[in-house]
Order: sequence, then C-alpha cells, then structure tokens
Amino acid sequence: MKRTFPLFLVFIFGILGIIPFIIPHPIVQNLDESIRNDILKILVAFALVLGLGSLLKVHMDKIKRKRENWQYSWILIISFLVSSIIGLFGGVAGAGPLPTSIGSFHFDIQTLYENIFMPLGATMFALLAFYMASASYRAFRARSFEATLLLITAFIIMIGIIPLGDKISPHLPSFAQWIMTVPNVAGQRGILLGVALGIIATSLKIILGIERSWLGGGE
Amino acid sequence: MTLILLTAIFTLAPPGEVRAYDTPSDGGKAIIIEWQLSQDDASLTGYEIYRSEDGVDFQKVGFLGIGRTSYEDETEDDKTYFYKVAAVSDTARALSEPSPQVMSSPQWLNRTKINIFIAMFLFGGFILYFIYHARKGKELFIRKIAGLQAVDDAVGRATEMGKPILYSLGLGFVEDIATIASLNILSEVAKKCAKYDTQLICPNNRPIVYTVAREIVKEAYTEVGRPDAFDPDSVYFLTDSQFAYAAGVSGIMVREKPATNFFIGYFYAESLILAETGASTGAIQIAGTDSLSQLPFFITACDYTLIGEELYAASAYISREPLLLGAIKGEDWGKLIIGTILIAASILGLLTKFPILGLFR
Amino acid sequence: MKFIERLTTIDRRIIYLVLAIVVLIPLISRSPERVRVMPPVEKLYNAVDTIPKDKVLIIDFGYAPQDMPELEPMGFALLRHAFEKRIKVLALCLYVQPLGLAQKALTEVTEEFNSVAQTNADSIIYGRDYVFLGWQPPPLIPMLGMGISITNVYPGDYYGNKTDTLPLMKYVKNYNDVALLVSLSAGSIPRSWVAYAQNRFGVAVAAGVTAVSAADFYQYYQTGQFTGLMTGMKGAAEYEELVETRLNIKKSRKASEALPSLTYGHLVMIAFIIIGNIGYFVQRKRRQK
Repeated sequence: MKRTFPLFLVFIFGILGIIPFIIPHPIVQNLDESIRNDILKILVAFALVLGLGSLLKVHMDKIKRKRENWQYSWILIISFLVSSIIGLFGGVAGAGPLPTSIGSFHFDIQTLYENIFMPLGATMFALLAFYMASASYRAFRARSFEATLLLITAFIIMIGIIPLGDKISPHLPSFAQWIMTVPNVAGQRGILLGVALGIIATSLKIILGIERSWLGGGE
Repeated sequence: MTLILLTAIFTLAPPGEVRAYDTPSDGGKAIIIEWQLSQDDASLTGYEIYRSEDGVDFQKVGFLGIGRTSYEDETEDDKTYFYKVAAVSDTARALSEPSPQVMSSPQWLNRTKINIFIAMFLFGGFILYFIYHARKGKELFIRKIAGLQAVDDAVGRATEMGKPILYSLGLGFVEDIATIASLNILSEVAKKCAKYDTQLICPNNRPIVYTVAREIVKEAYTEVGRPDAFDPDSVYFLTDSQFAYAAGVSGIMVREKPATNFFIGYFYAESLILAETGASTGAIQIAGTDSLSQLPFFITACDYTLIGEELYAASAYISREPLLLGAIKGEDWGKLIIGTILIAASILGLLTKFPILGLFR
Repeated sequence: MKFIERLTTIDRRIIYLVLAIVVLIPLISRSPERVRVMPPVEKLYNAVDTIPKDKVLIIDFGYAPQDMPELEPMGFALLRHAFEKRIKVLALCLYVQPLGLAQKALTEVTEEFNSVAQTNADSIIYGRDYVFLGWQPPPLIPMLGMGISITNVYPGDYYGNKTDTLPLMKYVKNYNDVALLVSLSAGSIPRSWVAYAQNRFGVAVAAGVTAVSAADFYQYYQTGQFTGLMTGMKGAAEYEELVETRLNIKKSRKASEALPSLTYGHLVMIAFIIIGNIGYFVQRKRRQK
C-alpha cells in the first residue's frame, strides 16, 4: 500500500497533465488550472516551511555542537530572522505595521533587496568572467584532433565577435556568425531531439510506474 | 446607430463575402470573422467590425488597419450573432452584407494538435514494446557511459580519503525531467554512501525537491540495511535564490573540501561558478544536465559530464533493470524514425531547388 | 626550463588579476568603439524601422540587475529608434525584478527627446506615444491573453491608469495591431514568446539575449521564427551603431563604450590559452624524448 498509493497518484496526475493539451474544453482547462495554480501553490508553501525548518535546524545544531566554522551559522540565523521580521511586518515598501525607517535611513524589504541582495547577485554573476578565464586556461589543451578543432573554433568565435575581428578580416565576423548559425545549430538540434525523446520516455516510465527509484527504491 | 450608418455616403466599395465561424479547436468564447478586401483598400483608414444579436441592431466591436482580412471577436457561448464589416475612410463608411448567423461553443478536441498526439502515441508504443520485450528476458546492449561508470570510483575515492561527497540537484523544479533523473542518481549514490559509510552533503535550492531528496536518501539508507547511519541533516534546504545558492554551495566546497562533487540536474549561469570552485578544491567532479547552454562550462571544468539524454539513461544504466533498458531502446527507435523523416524531408527540400525536376509544381 | 613548466600551472589569482585590470581600464576611459553591423541586428533594425503607423512595437523588458550591462543598452537603443521614428511602443515585464529597470529606460529616453522638443507634436507623451503596461504574472497569462485583448490582460497600467482610457490603447486591441515584439531576456522567455504568442497568434518576435545564452537562440533566428536577434554587448553595440549612423542620434553608447573591455578580455583569455598550450607542448615533447 505504501508503494501502490503514490504510484496510483502519479498515474492519475500524469494523465491529467496530458489531457488539457489536446482538450480545449473549459471543464478540462479549469481543472488543469486549479491543479497547477492552487494545489501546487499550497504544496510549495508547505514544502517551504519544511525547508526553512531544516535549514535552521542544521545551523542550530552546528552552533550547539560547535562544529567547524560554527560562527558563520550565527550570520545566517540573524539575517534570516531580520529579513523575515521586516518582510512579514514591514510591508513591501514600508507600508506595514512595523516602522522601517529611522529618519531618512530606510530598511524596508525593497531597500534591503536593492542594496544588499542585488549587488551580491550581480557580484556572483560577474565572477563568471574570471572563472571562464581560469577554466579555459586550464582545460583548453590541444590534446587531440577534436580538442584542437574545438580550440580553433573558440578562437574564431572569440575574435569574430569583437570589433578587432573585423579589422583583421571582414570575413572573420561573418565566419563566426556562420559557425553559430550552422554547425552550432546542427549540434544543438541533435541534442535537443534526444532530450525531447528522453523526456517523453522518462515521463512515460514514471506515469506507468516502471521507473520508481524516485520513490527511494525497494519494493 | 443604424440610422447613421444607413445614411453614410456610399462612395466606397464595401468588403465582400463576410464569413463568420466559431474559432476551431478552442475553449469557446470566440468567433472568427473573415472578409475580402474592399476594392478601395488602398484609400481606406481601415475596417470596422460590427456585431448584432438579432440581425438588426449592429454595434461596433473592433477596428483593424488596411490590408487585414480577419478578426477574432470575444463572445458569449451559445448565443447567436451576426456580423458586418465596414470599409472606413476619413469621410465615408461602406457596410457589407451581414454574415449568416453564428454561435461560439467550446470544443472537446484540439485538432491542430492531433499530429503531435499521434507521434506521441507512436513513440510511446515503441517504448512499451521494447519494455515488453525486455520483460521476456531479452538481453539488451547499452554502450558505456564514462560519467556513470565513474560513480563507483568517485564514492570509493571519498571513502578512502575520509572526505564527504557533495550532491547538488541544481535549480530545476521537481517536475523537470533533469531533476527527476538526478533524484534517481542520488538514490544510487546514497546507497553507495550508506554501504561505505561516507558522509553525503546535499544542499537544495527548491523546497519541494528538498523534501523528495530527503525521503530518497533516507529510503536508500534503509534499503542497504543502514537506517541508523542516515543523518537527517545531510540533506537540507539552502535558499531558493540562484546566486545565493551558488555562493552557499561554493562556501561548502571551500570549507568541507568534498572528495567528489556531483552537479546533476538543471543549471543556469551558476554552473561554472560551482564547477570552477569545485575544481579549485581538487575534487573529482561529475556533472550532468540537459541545459544546453551550460554544457560547455561543465565539460570544461568537470572530469565527467553527462550530456542531455545520457542523464535520463542514468538510472537504467546504474540499476541495469531490464525494464528501464527497454525504454532506452525504444527511444533509439524513435530517434531513428525522426532522423529518417528529417533526412527524407531535407532531400525533398533540396530537390525542389532544382527547377528542372519540376517537383511540386 | 622551469619557466616553461610553470606556464601550465599559472596561479588562478594571477589570471584573475590580469583580467580585472584589462577589463577595468577601458571602462574608465569610456571611448565608444565602432562596430560593423551583422545581419541579425540589421534585420531587427529594419523590422522596427518599417513598422506601419497603425501598429505598435512591444518591448518585453526582461532583464534583472545582473543582466544590465548587456541588455539595458539594447532597450535604450530600441526606444531611441522607435521614438525618433514616432513608432508607438508598449512596454511590459513578465517578472517583477525588471520593473524598475524598464521604468528607468522609459523615463530616461523620453526625457532625452522631451528636453529638446519644441512643440507638443515633437514631444514623447505617455499614453499617446507609449504605454507601460507593467507586470502581470504568471508569464503565460499576458503571452496568450494579449492575443484576445491587451486591455483585458492589463486593465491598469504601471502607473495605475485605466488602460482603456489611454489614447494609444483605443486602437491597439490585440496582437493583430502589433507589428513586432522584442523580448530582452537572459533566460528562456524569448522561446516562450515564439511558442505561445507567435505559434498561436502569428506575432513577429525578435530577441535580445546575453552572450552566454546566445548559442541557444541562433536556431530560432535561422528558421525565421525570430525576425532579428541581438546577442550580448556586441549585438547591443551594433544596434547603437545603427541608431547613431542612420538616425543621427548622438547619445551615450554604453555597450559601445564597454566593448574595448570585452575585446581586451577576450584577448587575455586567448593569450592565456595559448600560453597554457605552449607549456603543454613543450612538456609533451620532453616526455617523448
């Protein structure tokens, strides 16, 4: 029973997911929408509470047992509490019951978001440029014929998409463009077709209960 | 209203053959009106669409620019309507004859999608056929996938070094196939960790994925007979923000120095941040994703990368379960058919370029 | 000899430092670099240029702060082009983060035009020349809903006005009145516009995407599903180039100004790859001996 019931649910909801694709009737469409919008939202809300609980528990434990780097856990817990309290009681732009400014100093959730979260996110994104440089330096070696081909292509693209490429030869940017629109697209399509078929096969296996390792394996 | 329209100066040619019909393959509440361009189309400002419920009193419901010949009107179902279209210029307006009466209703079948549905059935049939064959005990060949063969070594290495294994399921939602495939691999990795008593760290980005991952790891430990060894804190929720997750996982890699990192699932721009940080700590890295734009990053920075469908094949590959292998064979046949159709269509397309052959005249 | 061996194991931090320096210096000097315009951008430009008087251009502002360097200049260049040619614009967002950035682009470009306008007809006026529809979640709702009625999906605009009272919206009903939709996004949204708005309602779609995701989108351009395509900072700089040379609008060109950083960044990466390979080959030769 512990195994059959989830498999039964997966079957029912899997089929319910396919049907609205081909039946436009409002009865089916409305049912689909309420599953997608309402039921899913409730599920996510529950899972979020569980998730946050787990995060806090892991860090409380770390502090209690003074495991390595336990001091950082305080940062997490304090930032979590501060942003939760401000977010829940301060309103989005300081319209809630909790006062979110002292004089001209604002600390409502929008301000925190714009001045802490956004720059932090942008910084992490900017790291990509550096990591790309170090990863390509380390990994791009002309070890074999294929690797050499890859290397040459990379050089053509990198030079072709900067203005310098045009100065070297006006054909270089066009060639880079050709690589992007022809061989690149061909490769992408090949992978995409495989991915699409793989998705159908995997979905089918799950709906029919053939693939059940997501249940944690075992019978 | 009608009076004004009737007294308008009829110096323009009205649009011809106004036709109204229920929008096909929809959920109702829409009617399409089509007409032929007025002969004075070039000198018009556009076309006005009029609607009536009784065929007498027409109300304006829409306006379109010149050169347009169809309009979709929002309606109420099971109510009769008549339509007229007027050619309009700055000074004049010429009304067409009314359309026959028409009614909108919801349909039970979207005919435009039948071809997709047939293809899906065909393809599903293949998979089921080969699964059926596999059940009868027919031996199926599957090529070696280096990334999956490395899973054993990767866990073994961590055990020898006495260091943990990091498993990231990426940023995908639980309904993404990449995430589901990753959960399958997690189950196998967790079993090996349980067997060798290796610590597993699994920080999550999506709350629902976290709850499922936790259950899977717990079940895996139970299955190999080590439920006591399962640490409930090994699988936890980190954050649902993309770059905060990248920062968090990078921090774990730098502090805990896992011997092996798995990045399997759906990834976005954080892929290289994770993989490059992992490489700098000297870990063996196995990645797998169907996110095409992130594949190059993983291939550059990781030791093994599962590309696209290799990822979906993983649980069949690791478990060697014949039923799952059968599905892979079915996929291959699907690919063969699509490939054949594509090549045939390309050849036909190429042939039409030679006018001498006179194809498709 | 030791020196050559070291070529394969340059410390990451040295690479980071060199890269940081070459990227930073051009950003301080701020001199725009000229580019040759490639067909995907030129096609987009021409498509915007030939939008008829009775139709509008929709711009989906989909960039968050981290995508600003690449995508914001595209938004500015598109708006300058449209406003200069008096093409009506509908702006919208599918997510909440880009709202502030869309608002910034609209007000700044409007101000550029209005600060030199002499008459009411010269000015760019909200409601007459453009409308900012704001944000309506989830993305699928506006994508499909605008096929039937734009004012139904967006009963109010970003500023709280009733959309059906705005002069522009009097004749813009649905996709039938939209000549082109340009999606500026770092994610997969341009693909969804094709899947839902184009396949179902036949709207012409074009996109501006980040360089990292560019490889994913060329196939849509190649098949003609995208009318045009701008990729990364170079794509934005090409559009800026067209706006300056063809329309003679001389304003700040953020992407063109940042291009030298991109150039030097690429060159540094190429140099490091070559250095690594020299070391690798020398080592391999020695081992073979």
